[in-house]
Amino acid sequence: MRKKIQPYAYSLPALIVIGLIVLFPILYTGYISLTNMSVYHWFDFHPIGLENYKKALLVFDSGFLPALLRTLLWTAVNMALQLTVPFFIAILLNSEGLRFKDFYKTILMFPWAMPAYVSILLWRMGIYNSEFGLLNQWLKQLGFKPVDWLSGDGTAFAACLIVNLWMAFPFMIMMIDGGLQSIDKSYYESATLDGAGFFMKMLKITVPSLRPIIAPAAIMTTFTTFKQFDIVFLMTQQQGSKTGANIHTVLTYAYEKAFMTNNYGYSSAISILIFAIVIAFSVFTTKDLKEEGTR
Amino acid sequence: MNGRKTKRAIRLLLTNLFFILICFACLIPILYALSVSLNTGNSMLSSHFSFIPERFTWDNYRTVLFKKPFFLWLKNSVLLALFTVIVSLAVGVPAAYAFSRYRFKGRNHMLYILLLLNAFPSILSMFALYRLLRPIGLVNSYLGLILIYTGSMTIFSLWNMKGYFDTIPVDIEQAAQIDGANDYQIVTKIVLPLAKPTIIVTAVLVLLSVWNDYIFAINFMSGAEKYTLAVGLYSLQATDYTRNWPLFSAASLLASLPALIIFFLIQKHMRSGLTAGGVKE
Amino acid sequence: MRMIRKVLALMLTICMVSINMAGCQGQSSPPSAGTAAPAVSSENSPKKPVTITIWHEAAAEIAKSLQTELDKLAPNVVVKLERKEKLADALKLVGNDPSSAPDMYFYAHDKLGTFAQMGILSPVTDFISKDDMQDLLPMTVNAATFNSQIYQLPVYFETQMFMYNKKLMKDPPKTTDDLLKYMKENTKGGVYGFVEQHSTAYYASAWMHAYGAAIINDQKEPGLNSQQMISALTYHKQFVPYEPKDGEYNTITALFKEGKAHAIIGGPWLVPEVKAANIDLGIAQMPTVSATGKPLTPYSGVQGVCVLKTAEDKKDAVAAVLKQLLKADIGISLAKTANCAPANSKCYDNAEVNGNEMLKAMKETAENVVPMPNFPEMDVMWTATENMLVAINKNNADIKTECDKAQKEALSQLEAMK
Repeated sequence: MRKKIQPYAYSLPALIVIGLIVLFPILYTGYISLTNMSVYHWFDFHPIGLENYKKALLVFDSGFLPALLRTLLWTAVNMALQLTVPFFIAILLNSEGLRFKDFYKTILMFPWAMPAYVSILLWRMGIYNSEFGLLNQWLKQLGFKPVDWLSGDGTAFAACLIVNLWMAFPFMIMMIDGGLQSIDKSYYESATLDGAGFFMKMLKITVPSLRPIIAPAAIMTTFTTFKQFDIVFLMTQQQGSKTGANIHTVLTYAYEKAFMTNNYGYSSAISILIFAIVIAFSVFTTKDLKEEGTR
Repeated sequence: MNGRKTKRAIRLLLTNLFFILICFACLIPILYALSVSLNTGNSMLSSHFSFIPERFTWDNYRTVLFKKPFFLWLKNSVLLALFTVIVSLAVGVPAAYAFSRYRFKGRNHMLYILLLLNAFPSILSMFALYRLLRPIGLVNSYLGLILIYTGSMTIFSLWNMKGYFDTIPVDIEQAAQIDGANDYQIVTKIVLPLAKPTIIVTAVLVLLSVWNDYIFAINFMSGAEKYTLAVGLYSLQATDYTRNWPLFSAASLLASLPALIIFFLIQKHMRSGLTAGGVKE
Repeated sequence: MRMIRKVLALMLTICMVSINMAGCQGQSSPPSAGTAAPAVSSENSPKKPVTITIWHEAAAEIAKSLQTELDKLAPNVVVKLERKEKLADALKLVGNDPSSAPDMYFYAHDKLGTFAQMGILSPVTDFISKDDMQDLLPMTVNAATFNSQIYQLPVYFETQMFMYNKKLMKDPPKTTDDLLKYMKENTKGGVYGFVEQHSTAYYASAWMHAYGAAIINDQKEPGLNSQQMISALTYHKQFVPYEPKDGEYNTITALFKEGKAHAIIGGPWLVPEVKAANIDLGIAQMPTVSATGKPLTPYSGVQGVCVLKTAEDKKDAVAAVLKQLLKADIGISLAKTANCAPANSKCYDNAEVNGNEMLKAMKETAENVVPMPNFPEMDVMWTATENMLVAINKNNADIKTECDKAQKEALSQLEAMK
């Protein structure tokens, strides 16, 4: 009897907290999406059925599709780089005899220790600024013409990408490094005895052993990257300092088109729709998510 | 033998060089902020920028530390982070353990759904959370914030720690059980110490997300005496009148220091206990 | 276990140290008039002191002036000024919640329409009479009016001015054509004749108004593709190549402070920084647009205090606060400490205020400036306008196309608001 309720008892506090803080807002937003809450009906709103959804589908107009594709590209490129580069860095960090490992690791964690908006501000003004930024100052010293990093679509995308990677690498490095620690060294020893080379060992031992540990982090990061709003917004779309680049992601596009109207019912409908799209995507592309859970 | 040694030495040298380079590259924006903060004059931008500050001064740091309520902010942040970490671990570890060790009804579905919940764009959640906290009376209180922070991190903590628990062979626990240990002893003396790396990682993650958050803190707390470090930092550049870049840079760097110090200190505790000989097959 | 104890010890040490240091620092938050009791007395009997909480997002000097001025109401009315970051968002959340909402707030006028529409504001005329406000500059009272009700008590206003570096620019141009000529002659080698935030709606509005164009008119109709707008933007486009391309606040201020820009259009908040950078600052009238004969007429922001409905039961206290702010004292104090242009015309009788070159200039422009529209529909106009400006100025798009696009966008957003 005790054995049966034990798992429920252990997980109850967590489930309650999740229910309140994560689930409830989703349900509440769903509820609001069915009402007419807006500036004109801020406190006296009432349900109006699926009206907002009809309006919301109009947002999925000509601008939305490019934004969606761009967001997918953004997520794919980010994740590809975030899984490979930190992997190599972590492996190198664990090289035998690397005495300053802790020191290097701490320095590499710096981008993570700063609040995101501060980092974005530093990058935007200190590095990418067209008159005074470091990049352009170096270019000028080398004799080249300064580049307007944040106004061209391609360069702005790359610029945002670099900032995102800068901020995200520490996390992955730490995760992978932690994961590497947990792999039993004896596996490597027996593999070496069998004559396996460096890459072989990596492929057959390291990667598979890391998977269960990294998988949740990777999946969460994928979602976070998809929802990434701050970087693109603060670098290129903030009201009062738009840069001319159009690299809208799904969220920044929704923000500009819908959330600015203060029409909560409408904005909620859009949030729910975006949520549905992302879920649909994940369900179709990651069937093995379920397997991860069943381990 | 010598050949092997020199090959190793060269390899190490190259590796060290590599790291020095990427550390430097990684730090460029930080060095920039450092330079701005050590300069007089209120400018983030300058046409003749150099990493060495032109008019060196400690004034900005002095102002931040002594004229601004920096230590008040620090105290608030530390308390908030500390309690959030404790609550998060208290909530997350048992749950992760349960999900890892037991196969109960709904387990798989729950895990899957929990992961998918992360796909929700939470921009509008502020309003919902406010509606939630108000009837409970937790709007302008640290308790409310702790609840929110814990909630936001639990799904990740759960998945992460569960993944790690999965890699701890059940045999260890069974061996202890055969030796007569009860459940409590198994958990505290065997499982938890082995799970140290993941618990630390989770604690650090929670700590950082609380340390750097300003959105929730601003929305759910009022009163300058309750400002955390992140909110205080935000207020230094919030409006045109109050913006002071060198001050802001100095404050940002100071605010990031505690996190770094903690990172450095916990490094050696992230070595896994498994490889130190738990169960030899 | 040992590790946990170590980390705990470290954190507790930090705590102890900071508590000590915080204690040694003394009061660093704005001194509230000796009250810690949040308890609110809802009775208005003159014996019990009533606490009024005012939220603000203002700079420290301004908050201090306000606090000093309102402390004069003690002990009957105790005013607590509380700084609240992201004030507008916070009000949207807590507006009608008596336990978390403030009694009044001090902020710019442009958001009052939204809040009034939401139903969380009481008109100030519920507490004072319209006659009490007769000394206030008409433009400011206009700004405070929404749906024929006055929701704000104006205290001071801000507008942009033509600022120039006296050492570099000897004779500020009187017309925009002269300005263009000046820019063509003087912009080279990293130095600019004139800089501005060319693609920000707030600043670009100066050019629009000179042509009689309006982002949105009083009937809430957007005018982004009117003929006047197109003329204004076409004319303005000629200036953009001679200005820094990104037109960002930080870039142009840095240029001006380093002496690399002869002139700039900016607000009063720039003055202390510029003076600290040892620039010999001059203020001039805005140049007149040669084609229309009208000067560049920027948007103006009026800062004042609004009353929330949750303060309904504190009528007398609120009235006392409002009456105190109607006096010329606060305006004069703000003018002296923070270079703010008071909304009360009586303040300009004061010698010090009158002697301040910048304040005088601002008062003169008060006749012509256009206060930012304060109705909720304006919220969505900023984005559409800026997208249009950015496309035209930074991406060299066709002006008519962009204007039409922006107008369509604005109309659909306005629809979406309902």
